[in-house]
Amino acid sequence: MDIKISQQENKTMVVLNGRIDTSNADQFQQDVAPLMEGENPDIDIDCTDMSYTSSQGLRIFLMLQKSVMARKGKLVMRNMNPQVKEVFDITGFSNIITIV
Amino acid sequence: MKLDMHCEMILDEYRENLPLFEKLRSMAMEKLQQCFDENKIVVASLDSRIKTEESLTGKLELKGYKYHTLNDITDIVGIRVVTFFSDEVDVISALAEQLFEIDWENTVDKRKMMEIDRFGYMSLHYICRLPQKLCNDLAMPELNEVRFELQMRSVLQHVWANMYHDMGYKTDVEIPREYQRNMSRLAGMLELADEQFSTIRKDITEYRRKVQSLVANGNFDEVPFNGDTFRSFIVLNPFERLVDKMAAINQAEVYEDSLMPYYNVLRLLNMKTIGDVVRMRDDYSESAYQLALMQLAGTGLDILASSVALQNLCIVYILKKGYGEAGLVQMFALLYGQNDYNIQRAKRNFDQAKRINII
Repeated sequence: MDIKISQQENKTMVVLNGRIDTSNADQFQQDVAPLMEGENPDIDIDCTDMSYTSSQGLRIFLMLQKSVMARKGKLVMRNMNPQVKEVFDITGFSNIITIV
Repeated sequence: MKLDMHCEMILDEYRENLPLFEKLRSMAMEKLQQCFDENKIVVASLDSRIKTEESLTGKLELKGYKYHTLNDITDIVGIRVVTFFSDEVDVISALAEQLFEIDWENTVDKRKMMEIDRFGYMSLHYICRLPQKLCNDLAMPELNEVRFELQMRSVLQHVWANMYHDMGYKTDVEIPREYQRNMSRLAGMLELADEQFSTIRKDITEYRRKVQSLVANGNFDEVPFNGDTFRSFIVLNPFERLVDKMAAINQAEVYEDSLMPYYNVLRLLNMKTIGDVVRMRDDYSESAYQLALMQLAGTGLDILASSVALQNLCIVYILKKGYGEAGLVQMFALLYGQNDYNIQRAKRNFDQAKRINII
């Protein structure tokens, strides 16, 4: 799994590539930890090349969502492939996180 | 403007004391805001000002003879609280009485001064001091001595007062009687409107209490389905058993999320009473569980949002009632907005439901 983080205007842009699963969830959590304290609460995650997420990934997205909401920002995940969207749908996470 | 020596002395005293007034203004504002926050009181506005030199000069020019010293002028520092409802003025004044020391001799309740056949300026003006329990600044003991004015009125009273001030009080020309009368008529109308707003609010609060008690007592068929009643209903965790059953599929942790987004979906499904929602739950829980079983078993996904139970219930309900994929697309559009993926989502759910013989 590869992650690229950049700042664009007042927004944090994240680009995810690959799978989020048991083998790399800890690393993923460490990578996104600074986003939970950053000055700009708005986060935009590009999931075009994210091929899968396990429950660990969902938990990290949930943590991000909570931290963004606490700072009155918005988390948006975009360009998810249908397989990843299905994971969000069947767990009810589509009701929690904005997916476009 | 030319003032006499006495008034000039008062004006000099005013200039010297400006830092004191500023400190008094900010302290009184801070304490009042803190008090509103602690008591969860939301007001339309909370403003303050220090009387300008120009305004004070004007006052002294008109009635400077009335004041021996600057201390006799009680509105150098002024705070104004504007409430949404007229009956909230009494709540604010009660809090002010607890917070500040009130100079009752100079306090004016214009609401009670009004003759029964007259309508006009309705506002409550308290003349206050900061008590030592709130502020004990040894470097500035005058902070407890200097008085300030606290005006309290409703937003409609505020509108009338501002209009009147703007159109009448400030001009040099006396307003003809007919215009005065029109302003009074408006004041009367706004007083009635103020009263009506308060009554409507009381009625709505009473209605909410009644409905909440019907929901709490389980009289669901008597409870009309609306945003308020649905909110009261979901407090009872009505889908908890189904959520727990779904969570057991993968021994999942449940994250409690809001069910309110489903309010519009249930409206779309023509729910008329909370009883209809309860029947949907009782009739289709098993099918909703079977759908979750098919979707989740073997995935290892061990975290669920609690809304997934109502999500599957709505999917099953739509399919059982024969609304088909089109019905599902409509539901997803309400939840997630219009997008092409909703068609794919609907097809997937339709196929899964078919495979487990829900339809």
